[in-house]
Amino acid sequence: MVKSCERISPSCGVVVFERPEGFPGAQPGQFVSVRVSDSTVPLLRRPYSIMDLTDLDLALLVKVAGRGSAMLASAAPGDVMDIAGPLGGVPFTDPGGEDAVLVAGGTGLAPMIHAARTWKRRGGSGRILLVHGAASRDESPGVSFVADCDEVFRAPMDGSTGFRGDAVTLLERLLDERRISAPLLYSCGPAAMVRALVERTDGKFRGHQTSLEAVMACGVGACRGCTVPLREGGKIVFKAVCDDGTVFRASDIAWEEWW
Amino acid sequence: MVKEGNNTVFRVGNASFINGVLLASGPAGYGLEYSGMMRMARLGGVVTKTISLKPRAGNPGIRLRETGSGLLNSVGLENVGAAKFFREKLPAVLEAGIRPVVSLAAEDWDDYTRLLDETSGHREVDAVELNLSCPNVKSGGMSVGTDPAKVDVYVREAKSRLPGVAIVAKLTPNVQDIAGLAAAAEGAGADGITAINTVIGMDIDVGSRRPVFRMVRAGLSGPAILPVALEAVWRVAHAVKIPVIGAGGISSVRDAMKFFMAGAAAVQVGTAIFYDPGLPERIADELERSGVPARI
Repeated sequence: MVKSCERISPSCGVVVFERPEGFPGAQPGQFVSVRVSDSTVPLLRRPYSIMDLTDLDLALLVKVAGRGSAMLASAAPGDVMDIAGPLGGVPFTDPGGEDAVLVAGGTGLAPMIHAARTWKRRGGSGRILLVHGAASRDESPGVSFVADCDEVFRAPMDGSTGFRGDAVTLLERLLDERRISAPLLYSCGPAAMVRALVERTDGKFRGHQTSLEAVMACGVGACRGCTVPLREGGKIVFKAVCDDGTVFRASDIAWEEWW
Repeated sequence: MVKEGNNTVFRVGNASFINGVLLASGPAGYGLEYSGMMRMARLGGVVTKTISLKPRAGNPGIRLRETGSGLLNSVGLENVGAAKFFREKLPAVLEAGIRPVVSLAAEDWDDYTRLLDETSGHREVDAVELNLSCPNVKSGGMSVGTDPAKVDVYVREAKSRLPGVAIVAKLTPNVQDIAGLAAAAEGAGADGITAINTVIGMDIDVGSRRPVFRMVRAGLSGPAILPVALEAVWRVAHAVKIPVIGAGGISSVRDAMKFFMAGAAAVQVGTAIFYDPGLPERIADELERSGVPARI
């Protein structure tokens, strides 16, 4: 059941559900699939990364991109929607006390918030540095959401924070100016952003894990509809984003084979 | 509360099922993936994801696109191949209490005969669905299933290499005369017909001015195709005496009842499990409660 639905920008909202009964704990990078309508329009459930999970609440970050997300972002308190999850067979691995840079594009912020909260609550000693790219400052949720990050850098495309450009360009500048450094990179966002990250940060991080976005049908690895091509032992294999991911080693992705 | 008493058993050839509610081949994978979301033992059975002799990686590029009350897919028969299926998947399916119907497809005749022989070594398989109708592969699939003479040859071969096994031919709606295909299958000894597979469609990305799918065409499923499927089942059921399994766009208990009234002896639920995994069991409950609807 929807507890609250707050617009944080003209196109983005935070939807908080009552934690469904029996809903197990979730790892950063896992997601839920929400049936936003009882009718067959839209037909499929919509997958959303878990942004926050407490004893009482399940919070999702929703950007209006089409009919399904519009229905979810305009939900009213008391609305009941069927939620399946947590789904996703491979979550982010904990940085284990090392410093980590988290790069998020748009609503790719959601699993990063979940990751920062989870790792800080575990008492992780590493610093968490967030770089968030969005269309404008309006699309970045308030400071309370990113309170678990040690530093936050925003990259709005409209220049509303003084920097104009995308998250990858901002990350490059921060690295060049030695304002941040860390051995581990985590990312989530549009595939074009993740691809640019891989190509433009080559050799600058020891590891780069990315949580991929995909159109999904089953969400459990059955239908093979949401596959991503990976390089594995010299050949291309297709893995299901929903169940073999959502988290992959970014360097394994065969971008030229995708789409 | 479900009342006991109504006989819901579905029989095709020598194979029997506790009811005529099956999961269609494809969406449910090998059945195992969904076992946490439905009570498989309440269902008649699961038609497993189509297997081929060798593993298939499936199609590159985008594989799914939602349409108005429908879903286009271009998965391309991704599967683990016969050897791994029989070694790993099928034992796990049986262990999980899932009643399987094994779906088979082949790229050419040589593959086909070897796949049948591989299958015949497994006595636990008593029902097979021949996927003569997948639109998402370059060879085999629909190119076989649109020609009554080829349907005849393929069904005959299955009957001869799999003695005692129920052979069900799954037909494509992308033809002038699906009843003629069904009659050909029946004449060749098929024990049942599944109608229908997906309807061919396509989509275009307006921004890039390119087809969405690398193969251009894709298979349409979901509520959008129900009227097409219902009419096909109606025609097929008038053309053959063997049991017809109705499939295509079932998304409610009432939808399933329509197929029984059109002449189906059983139904398959596919795309609907993505958004309503409880539906197959609700159909089974209704059959137990009210009996299988009589044909009109």
